[in-house]
Amino acid sequence: MPVITLYKERFSKFVGRKITIEDMTKHLPWIGFDLEEIGEDYVKVEYNPNRIDFCSYAGVARTLKGFMGLEKGLPAYVTKEPETTLIIDKAVANIRPFMLAGVVRNIKFDDDSIVELMEMQEDLHWGIGRDRKKASIGIHNLDVIKPPFKFTAVEPTKAKFVPLGKNEKMDLKEILEKHEKGAAYRHLVDWAPKYPLLIDKDGAVLSMPPIINGELTRVDANTRNLFLDVTGTSYDAVENSLKVLSAALADMGGTIEKVAVKYSDRTVVSPNLNPEKMKLNVNYANRLLGLELSDVETVKCLQKCRMDARKVGKGVLEVSFPAYRIDILHEVDLVEEVGIGYGYNRLKPTIPAAVTVGEQHPTHRLANSTRQIMIGLGLLEVMNFTLTNERLHYKFVRMKPEKTIRLANPVSTEYSIMRQALLPGLLNNLTENKHESFPQRLFEVSDVVKVDKKLEAMCERRLHVAAVSSHSMANFTEVKSLCEALLANLALKNWQIKEARHPTFLEGRSAAVCIKDRCLGVLGEIHPQVLNNFGLENPTAAFEIDLELLMK
Amino acid sequence: MVDLRVNERKTLSALEKSGGKTSVEQLIHESGLPDAAVMRTALTLQEKGLVKVHEEKKTRAKLNDEGKAHAKKGLPERRLLSALKKLRGKASLENVAEEADLEKNSIPIALGWIQKKKWAVLDTKTNTLQVLERAEEGKDERILRLLNEKGQVVVEDLNKEQQEAIQVLKRRKLLNIKGKIKRIFEITDAGLAALRERKEAIEEVTQLTPELIMTRKWQRVKLIKFDVTAPGPSVYPGKMHPLQQIIQRAREIFLELGFTEIRGPLVETAFWNFDALFQPQDHPAREMMDTFYLASPKTGKLPSKNIVNSVASVHENGWVTGSKGWGYDWSHDEAKRLVLRTHTTAETIKYLAEHKKPPIKVFSVDRVYRNEQLTYKNTAEFHQIEGIVVDENVTLRDLMGTMKTFYTKFGLKKTEFWPCYFPYTEPSAQAMVYHPKLKRWIELCGMGIFRPEVTAPMGIKCPVLAWGGGLERLAMIELGLDDIRMLYGNRLEWLRRTPLCQ
Repeated sequence: MPVITLYKERFSKFVGRKITIEDMTKHLPWIGFDLEEIGEDYVKVEYNPNRIDFCSYAGVARTLKGFMGLEKGLPAYVTKEPETTLIIDKAVANIRPFMLAGVVRNIKFDDDSIVELMEMQEDLHWGIGRDRKKASIGIHNLDVIKPPFKFTAVEPTKAKFVPLGKNEKMDLKEILEKHEKGAAYRHLVDWAPKYPLLIDKDGAVLSMPPIINGELTRVDANTRNLFLDVTGTSYDAVENSLKVLSAALADMGGTIEKVAVKYSDRTVVSPNLNPEKMKLNVNYANRLLGLELSDVETVKCLQKCRMDARKVGKGVLEVSFPAYRIDILHEVDLVEEVGIGYGYNRLKPTIPAAVTVGEQHPTHRLANSTRQIMIGLGLLEVMNFTLTNERLHYKFVRMKPEKTIRLANPVSTEYSIMRQALLPGLLNNLTENKHESFPQRLFEVSDVVKVDKKLEAMCERRLHVAAVSSHSMANFTEVKSLCEALLANLALKNWQIKEARHPTFLEGRSAAVCIKDRCLGVLGEIHPQVLNNFGLENPTAAFEIDLELLMK
Repeated sequence: MVDLRVNERKTLSALEKSGGKTSVEQLIHESGLPDAAVMRTALTLQEKGLVKVHEEKKTRAKLNDEGKAHAKKGLPERRLLSALKKLRGKASLENVAEEADLEKNSIPIALGWIQKKKWAVLDTKTNTLQVLERAEEGKDERILRLLNEKGQVVVEDLNKEQQEAIQVLKRRKLLNIKGKIKRIFEITDAGLAALRERKEAIEEVTQLTPELIMTRKWQRVKLIKFDVTAPGPSVYPGKMHPLQQIIQRAREIFLELGFTEIRGPLVETAFWNFDALFQPQDHPAREMMDTFYLASPKTGKLPSKNIVNSVASVHENGWVTGSKGWGYDWSHDEAKRLVLRTHTTAETIKYLAEHKKPPIKVFSVDRVYRNEQLTYKNTAEFHQIEGIVVDENVTLRDLMGTMKTFYTKFGLKKTEFWPCYFPYTEPSAQAMVYHPKLKRWIELCGMGIFRPEVTAPMGIKCPVLAWGGGLERLAMIELGLDDIRMLYGNRLEWLRRTPLCQ
């Protein structure tokens, strides 16, 4: 989850009054922040990715002001009519078809706000832009460039400019190959014959979206006027990013001026900071929240969340919410705003009235009966991961991999496949505990996963039980007794222990447990080669049974 | 009746066999016990009045070099007397001394003693020595001879006369003398009686046997009392794994609250794991870095067209729900990809697709996966506590009450519900529990009411209260752990030592 660190001095300026650490820790959790770390003069908070407008001090401050009752209702955003034009060349249509832009005038930055601006940009790249794929932002010093601007595409070696942070000119191909950002984001453009480029009236390069800006338009603490560009593959993502960014810059004191964006077939004026409107049924909100708020009370709750509403029918409100609230998709999102405005801390917990009869799942009932018997037999339960690796799962126990369920993106080589049996894990447990006292008798009742193409997910989860007994006198007889004690106490009848071969067990000391023609599992003395593979020194006997076969 | 411990009985009996009174050495020999044990036991027997301890002094005397020389040649006065007799009973001191071959410094000693013993007398005017009597062998000479023969004697063993003679030789500095205390044990009447009692009880038994019980012989034997404070060998019971105990407790609570348990597959299609829960196909949680995808088998099958089409529409444009949707082209192929389920909510939504009639209260405490490195706070596999309540008029407050009840039953009394965000619930909250040891609020459970975009494609009309929280975090609080790996490390030392959860 994204994080923002709020220093109380600077944050107080945005709120417009002195804010203490206590104010922050008291109120912020009830707006949806997680307190990550509380310092002497700062609070580090996590915010949810849907509220991307919390990526700036301004964004947090305007919400907190509403919540604390310092300001209420919609924040007003005035946008001036466009003086600047941006032309979208058809050449970008197949690479990065959308661009919107805005102008910010008379903004006053300091070093802190430059850092914040960069962090905001990164949060938006991640949160809305999906790591620059759907949308990416460029912020430029407007005073060094001349409109109209043009978003175009050029052949990789046909344009050169000094990328941000470098001293010399590089062509677009070189940037992808040599610049850090080029290496990180080249996959977004390197497949196209021409790469996107944003230039001014004289051909000066503003940026190479979505890779890197030009050094020419670098923004620093002395920059007063900004040109904002957002390019991307999703119009909504581009528009939403621009809305959130413009609103934050307006809150930082800038004057927002629109830009006329000329596509080949239409002209769009951006950013659009007009509030959006959606209807809310007061009764719907009350029903979900468990409240009985009047229309007026509901409006008050919404106003605390920086929204406004007017009554348009009996129990129906038309809610206006700020343009940056791109998370509002459905009426139900407004219901949550009412809840937050009312205060989650004021919602008294109640118990659902429905009377129902509970029941455990039959598989878990069987699992627990099995556990009870195994514990009664004196065995200790272990719990292993269902993820394992081929070396341990097949090679060590002398088995051949068969229909292995393999991960596409394992986190380590140790956990790359799903287990099909419990026994290798138990043997591994013995290896890990060689220094502990013997006898060691362990069991596990848990899941294995096997391929079954009849199922939607192509894989079947099966409940198994396995046990090992390891000590200087462990043998077939002991484990056979354990196994038969389990079967008898699970109310099984007519099972047979048949001679059977199994690579993991010693020949002549291994057997299959069967009912008629169905094989439930195996038991026997572990083959000395397997013991050597696991580095075990004591004789070990074991069994494993598929419990699903016992379910009626 | 006096109770005797094994060693006490052995010691007493050895003492009796040795004639009722004997030395430590003899007791050690007779009883077969180590010397320290004999000494310890004898002292406790003394405390009980069964044994008397006599302390005897043994003084050993032995001739020194001068003594040995005298024993060989005779005492100086004897040698002087013999010389005098050779000179016919009377002679000048000078002549006698010469005849006796006495060293110069011995002459005054010899002269002193010969007169003291009244064997001779010195006429100081003429300086001549005159024999007075025959001079039989004196007691000092006899002891000198004895000492010379035996090498050493125990003074206390000598008769009175001999002891006086020893004192004389001691004064004449002819002896080396060493004193030592020797303990002698003597059985008392009470000791004999105690031993007798024993003898009458016939036999002492350590292990009660079936034979003793059946033959009632146990009535005639003495069952030895054990030192109940002595440490015994450790044994370890068969036990449920501590994490399993927490799982069972969580299950019990929901069963007590009238919930029915559900169970679903570990491998799921992305459709049930994400799409059915209104998680857009480009959502970061669906990326490879968060979710395990399968390489083989790679894809699964989608459910009925009805459900698939409505889910697709909800993503693209909100379908009939009034939602804006996510505004993108939904892909069947993306939905068919197989994943290790990232939450049990996949099972819950599947259950809702098949069970629509309220009231519904179901839960699961089951295994889920996230693509995480194994660290002290993360594992790739863990358990989720999941549940839903579906009914006509259930509310967010009911959800809070259900969760509060659950955590209270777990012994966590201080709960708060903070606003939160999940793609498939609205309103959403997170259950925060105050951790008294860490002195901070920790998040235990995400919760909310399923969005209409989630319920509508499944044909559910009522609100669905849903929650999903980590079990391991709860287990770590309960078990006092700060490293989650302990729960899956299966360290025998820890499993054997950890008591059952209360």
